[in-house]
Amino acid sequence: MSTDEPTTDDVTADDAAVDDTASDVPDDEPILSVDDVSVHYEPGGIVTRALSDKKVRAVDGVSFDLYDNDIVVLVGESGCGKTTLGKTAIGLEKPTEGSVKYRGQDIWNSKENPRDADIEFTEIRRAMQIIHQDPANALNSSRRVKAILSDPLKKYRDELGPKEREDTIYRFLEFVDMMPPEDYAERYPHQLSGGEKQRVALGRALLMNPDVILADEAISALDVSLRVGMMDLILDLQDTFDTSYIFISHDLANARYLAKRAGGRIAIMYLGEIVEIGPPEEILQNPTHPYTKVLKWSTPTVDPDVAKQRIQEDPPVREVDVPDPEDPPSGCKFHTRCPEAREVCTTEEPERYETAGESTTACFRALETHEYWNSAELADADEDEYDAQESAGFGD
Amino acid sequence: MSEKTPKSDGGVTQESIFGTDEEVERRRTPPAERARRAFDFYVATPFRVAWTDWRTRIGGIGVLFYLLMGTVGVWLVPPPQINEGPYYLDPFVDWSMPLGTDNLGRGVFKTLVHSTPAMMKMALAGIVFTVGVAVLVGMIAGYKGGVVDTLLMTITDVFITLPGLPLIIVLAAIFSPDDPFIVGTIIAIDQWPRLARMLRSQVLALREEDFVEAARSIGLSTPTIVGQELVPKVAPFVLISAAGAAVGVIFQSVALYFIGVLPFSSLNWGVMMQLAYTQGNAVAAPGRAGHWLLFPLLAISGVSFSLILFSQGLDRVFNPRLLARHSQTVPEDEQEEAGGL
Amino acid sequence: MAIGQTNQSTADEETDDADEDIVMEVDDARVQFGMSRGQAWVLNDVSLDIRREEILAVVGESGSGKSMFAAALMDAVEDPGHLSGDVTYYPREEEGDDSPSADQIGSYDTVGDDAVDVLGMTDGELKNFRWEEVSMVFQGAMNSFNPTMKIKGHFHETIQAHNAVLEDRMEHVRDLFQALHLDPDRVMNSYPHELSGGMKQRALIALALVLEPEVLVMDEPTAALDLLMQRSIISMLRELRDEFDLTIVFITHDLPLVAGLSDRIGVMYAFEFIEVGDTRSLLKDAAHPYTRALLRSVPSIDSDIDAMQPIEGARPDPVNIPTGCSFHPRCPIADDRCEIEDPDLVSVDDDHSAACFYTDQARGELEYTLDHGATED
Repeated sequence: MSTDEPTTDDVTADDAAVDDTASDVPDDEPILSVDDVSVHYEPGGIVTRALSDKKVRAVDGVSFDLYDNDIVVLVGESGCGKTTLGKTAIGLEKPTEGSVKYRGQDIWNSKENPRDADIEFTEIRRAMQIIHQDPANALNSSRRVKAILSDPLKKYRDELGPKEREDTIYRFLEFVDMMPPEDYAERYPHQLSGGEKQRVALGRALLMNPDVILADEAISALDVSLRVGMMDLILDLQDTFDTSYIFISHDLANARYLAKRAGGRIAIMYLGEIVEIGPPEEILQNPTHPYTKVLKWSTPTVDPDVAKQRIQEDPPVREVDVPDPEDPPSGCKFHTRCPEAREVCTTEEPERYETAGESTTACFRALETHEYWNSAELADADEDEYDAQESAGFGD
Repeated sequence: MSEKTPKSDGGVTQESIFGTDEEVERRRTPPAERARRAFDFYVATPFRVAWTDWRTRIGGIGVLFYLLMGTVGVWLVPPPQINEGPYYLDPFVDWSMPLGTDNLGRGVFKTLVHSTPAMMKMALAGIVFTVGVAVLVGMIAGYKGGVVDTLLMTITDVFITLPGLPLIIVLAAIFSPDDPFIVGTIIAIDQWPRLARMLRSQVLALREEDFVEAARSIGLSTPTIVGQELVPKVAPFVLISAAGAAVGVIFQSVALYFIGVLPFSSLNWGVMMQLAYTQGNAVAAPGRAGHWLLFPLLAISGVSFSLILFSQGLDRVFNPRLLARHSQTVPEDEQEEAGGL
Repeated sequence: MAIGQTNQSTADEETDDADEDIVMEVDDARVQFGMSRGQAWVLNDVSLDIRREEILAVVGESGSGKSMFAAALMDAVEDPGHLSGDVTYYPREEEGDDSPSADQIGSYDTVGDDAVDVLGMTDGELKNFRWEEVSMVFQGAMNSFNPTMKIKGHFHETIQAHNAVLEDRMEHVRDLFQALHLDPDRVMNSYPHELSGGMKQRALIALALVLEPEVLVMDEPTAALDLLMQRSIISMLRELRDEFDLTIVFITHDLPLVAGLSDRIGVMYAFEFIEVGDTRSLLKDAAHPYTRALLRSVPSIDSDIDAMQPIEGARPDPVNIPTGCSFHPRCPIADDRCEIEDPDLVSVDDDHSAACFYTDQARGELEYTLDHGATED
């Protein structure tokens, strides 16, 4: 899916960047600009790669902007590319095509041609950090909390002596309610609870005073009752440290919580593309893209009456399994599963269209006039008793 | 949660969050406390952890014994002289020659003691060379990947495929090394490639771990990441390999001395065994010179066994759970580790 | 309904349990093991009845004891844990030739047994009992396929291990695959790595059902799967229960997941059941403060964001379970009595009981909502 003029993005993002913070001058310039980024892999070993053309398009032509104090939550099923997109956005992976710009400076240009760069790569590297899903893995189990939290300080604040570093670390631990801090600083990760480990990982990121943090399923490994607490903490810290977040989640309910409380956006991803992006209430109450409807339908609700009714329903997709990312469907990638798909969807790729509200979506149905409305409906796939890994081959 | 302070223009600084300087003063740890903590962290706790394992204890005592033998022992025990005793004296008969004598009347015990330094030097050279090269090559290749990896691994593979023993024999024949350090280094040429490959495999797996990615994200340099994050993880493996390298060097040297490739030196366990076999016919007629063959053999086995036991026990020292339990600065475990979902 | 807890099971015990067809009964089950710090209890005198052909959800966070409960049902608690108490299994009565137990499928012989003491079985009996009467899908089990063996190899192995008739069983597997929307020819001839996570998990469910057990215990079967696959499997489970007369015990930490699937829910906290009841009754108006707090702390797709609140405090240490009511340190309405006395499960509604002295107060003071604006009290 190709990008349109930047104006489309600016319009949506501007409206969505709700300013909660007091003294901010509303920033029109995005901190992070992902511009038609694609990340392709060639699977297999040397021989396979040489012999075949196959590519996995983990991320395929994605664009979005991230502003000051903004949150974008990437939501999708596994294989949709959200993790790859996230890591590419913060410069941990290199895009095959397209560019990622930090405050206007192309990240990889800065790394490879340091002399031409306006912003140095070390500065960019400092400004963009990551928090991982599993806090147990994210901390080196052989090192103590103090050592782990000293890393960012030693690297970027070398004016601090060891005592000052220690104090800064203590203060951070107090700030996130890990008291007494002297005690916690001497612990090894295995002596911390899941939530505490995650707070240390957060601290490691925040002590660099980054502008953007990628939180990769950062709450999935926590106990259910702790998740809201961690999300609240992240949001509080966002205010204090003036950071933007890119959140990755497979859980639409949590995505909604975060995006709504922070006034951010949810971006729904499918097979490497953003199919719908916009404020959570809009997207979830009036989903335009059929895939968003599917995700919403699949998210469990705790209301037993609604749940009992829903369990009798069939999913609003024609096929349960996701197509093979190595061999994605032609035209609109969702057409093989889309209940609203028509002939034109198999040949033409939708671009990003505005909806009535602030969101944008990649579906012809958002447009009032399009060939779609005149196109013939697809003959439905056979009552699928069996799941196929590949797409059902309509017009492939 | 602490109060939120208003932001300054340049973004939030640590000071604006974390309080004023007066408060900072109150909190600093006195230097004496730091020194105590450092000692506990680097010396006392590892020692305590190591001591809990019987293998470290026994192995450690064994290694210590040999080290003492090679240093203090050499000083205390006079060097063997020809004809200081009757030829082929049996052991445990005359206490001035506790382990008997050899074909020229030299005390076996004295010869053993005075051969120890050479063995130790050889083993040390072997360890340093093997581990040093293998760690550098293997870990950097594994972490860096790409061209560097291919290059380093090609070199390693060349060495793996070179036939080890003949190579050493040839080198030994060419250089005729006297110095045990050089002998150890030459023998180690056979050992480092395999270890390098194994370390590379470990690093390949570790490289994908989240905490390594976090370190990269912070912007730490490659040597820092390898040394700080990866080495503690591979340290147990390296230690055991180091012990294995030492043992390997010792065994190989004995073999080489036994077959006569390495230059003759009277003060050498391997040479003792060779002479016992050739001159003393120790295998065919054990009654006469059997002790001359046996005691060096025991000495070699002893040092190898001690080294291996010691290194196996030492891998505990890198286990953070044990370090926490035995440390005096690390707080007590109040509750079980909370797992994920 | 009668669910009595430990020592003080009183008035509620004998009521209408006789009407319910119970398939398994757990009485005073406890699992403990020694640690350097003391005795750890990971199942604390748990009693529960499982009704035939129901779907019972056991909900709890990590460290609540739910996996241990599942293991106890099959006497699969591993060393150093030690399981004591009673676990009784009631085989289906012979009703005629249609009943599955009429033709013996594996080596386990239930004919003539009224009640089977699971914990008293010998190793041989246990080996047959498991998988033929009570079967289990473990957490993360989809990674436990043998990568060098095709899927059909796994089935053959299991069938042969239980001395069952291969052709009959493979016929049954076809039926199971159909219910699980799997293509038998394709899946059977694949290696595990060729299948997606969802397919592996479904194949595993079929493997657990190959010998037509009465009870299927599932520990977080959908944990690592995508939303849509998760949702599909939930539907499939319901169909499986209807078609094959199964009893399902579904263990999870995710309360919304089972809201539509389960008939009853049992909430575990600190290694015991603190609330058990009919799903609708429990979710609409939970009685125990923990359940209410849990419902308030878990955002669902339509919950009121501003009303969300985390639960303060930390979960209990198995070595130091709090005295009295195990939830009292974190409970907003706890008082002195709660610190001393441990409440039993008492009935609060029809088919709904909770272990709390102050359920009325809990219902009155701790609010939570299930959806936008519809505030429950």
